[in-house]
Amino acid sequence: MTSRLYRDEAVVIRSYKLGEADRIVVMLTRENGKVRAVAKGVRKTHSKFGGRLEPLSHVAVQIHRGTNLDVVNQVETIDSSGRMFGDLDVMTEGLAVLEAIDQLVPDREPVPEIFRMLVGVRKTLAERPSALVVPAFLLRLLASEGVRPELDRCVVCGEVESESTPLVAIDLERGGVQCRGCRSGVGVTSGALALLRDVLDGRLGEALDRAHRPGEQVLDDPVVVEVASIATRAFEFHVERRLRSVAIFERHDARSDS
Amino acid sequence: MASTYTLPVQNLIDHLGRLPGIGPRSAQRIAFHLLKLPAEDVQRLTQAITDAKERVRFCSQCFNFAEDDLCPICADPRRDSSVICVVEESRDIIPLERTGEFKGRYHVLLGVMNPIEGIGPDQLKMRELVMRIGSEDVREVIVCTNPNTEGEVTAQYIGRLLKPFDITVTRPASGLPVGGDLEYADELTLGRAISGRRRLDD
Ligand SMILES: [Zn+2]
Ligand SMILES: [Zn+2]
Repeated sequence: MTSRLYRDEAVVIRSYKLGEADRIVVMLTRENGKVRAVAKGVRKTHSKFGGRLEPLSHVAVQIHRGTNLDVVNQVETIDSSGRMFGDLDVMTEGLAVLEAIDQLVPDREPVPEIFRMLVGVRKTLAERPSALVVPAFLLRLLASEGVRPELDRCVVCGEVESESTPLVAIDLERGGVQCRGCRSGVGVTSGALALLRDVLDGRLGEALDRAHRPGEQVLDDPVVVEVASIATRAFEFHVERRLRSVAIFERHDARSDS
Repeated sequence: MASTYTLPVQNLIDHLGRLPGIGPRSAQRIAFHLLKLPAEDVQRLTQAITDAKERVRFCSQCFNFAEDDLCPICADPRRDSSVICVVEESRDIIPLERTGEFKGRYHVLLGVMNPIEGIGPDQLKMRELVMRIGSEDVREVIVCTNPNTEGEVTAQYIGRLLKPFDITVTRPASGLPVGGDLEYADELTLGRAISGRRRLDD
């Protein structure tokens, strides 16, 4: 049996306990796609890996390709998850991003564009977090898969938005927005429609700046909440699965309690 | 893959393989070991499992293992009832008790929040914790979940959940393992140790 070492850059997605003190670490790598590898002894207090393999860590790894399972040999931090670690909202948003990637990306298939997006969204979460980061990421992830909702003309009759024919609904199964006469989907406000266009038409940076919450605990903008719901449904419709990390916090939004 | 073992042996291996931390190879090794044991030893083992399962339950107050309604710690009047230490599992109580530093009571969540696996507050003894704050005379809650991402999410969530109460919610300082060299510390651990530093003249 041949076995060999390879090096790559990776963002840790998740890990599972294995045996007494090991973990299987799932990571998205730049060159090898989604990879699973055993981190031996990582759960021990004196592990050489320490906190370097926690979800959201951006690392350089050296992996030993084994016959059954790959084994993590060395890890160096490029950017630790430390900047995100102390903030519940940022951490849960980061985990939602990781879950979406885990669901969408198959093992061992290089996805350099998605890797680049993941590195970018980590940076955004750490530097200008907001409730818009995850929905914008989901929509752009879908767009990178070639799934982009039609936002400018009714998907049924083809009518372009105008004073007399406003686009009032969105039906994800039919692929986008609808006018009043053709409506079969759920209602969408003009504000949400404008924000969806900003996210998908290259004005994401400005939208993120507007949504950024520099202070603590601002109540979420209803337009962002609406876009978040559309993005989650669009993603779940595409992968045909629920996003569990989003569902948990939808029902338990402690944010609105304070 | 067709089994190379007779049905009872394969059945035993399958059951052992479902235990945490036991892979297929270990399951096979344990099964063969059990089959070589004298019948009375096997009898004692099965009896021990049955007894434990019949007699041990969860403490009605803190969800630690208990033989009675309350576990020994909750039943002990010398323990300080104004401080609750929240842990993920009963097994986490053992190292904390060994420190001899903690005189309060515990609350076992029976797990940890793991959003990606769909484990949220509803799957844990979180509501029961809030109820204890309301009914017992608690002044401080120490959140002693594991120092990893799931443990930290859980701790932050508890911090937010208990905000409306007039109590102190703390988290043990996360720092460098005693006996280790600084140069081997990872950035996450070292960063948190620095941000949680303490004055030397305290
Ligand atoms: Zn139409
Ligand atoms: Zn108890």
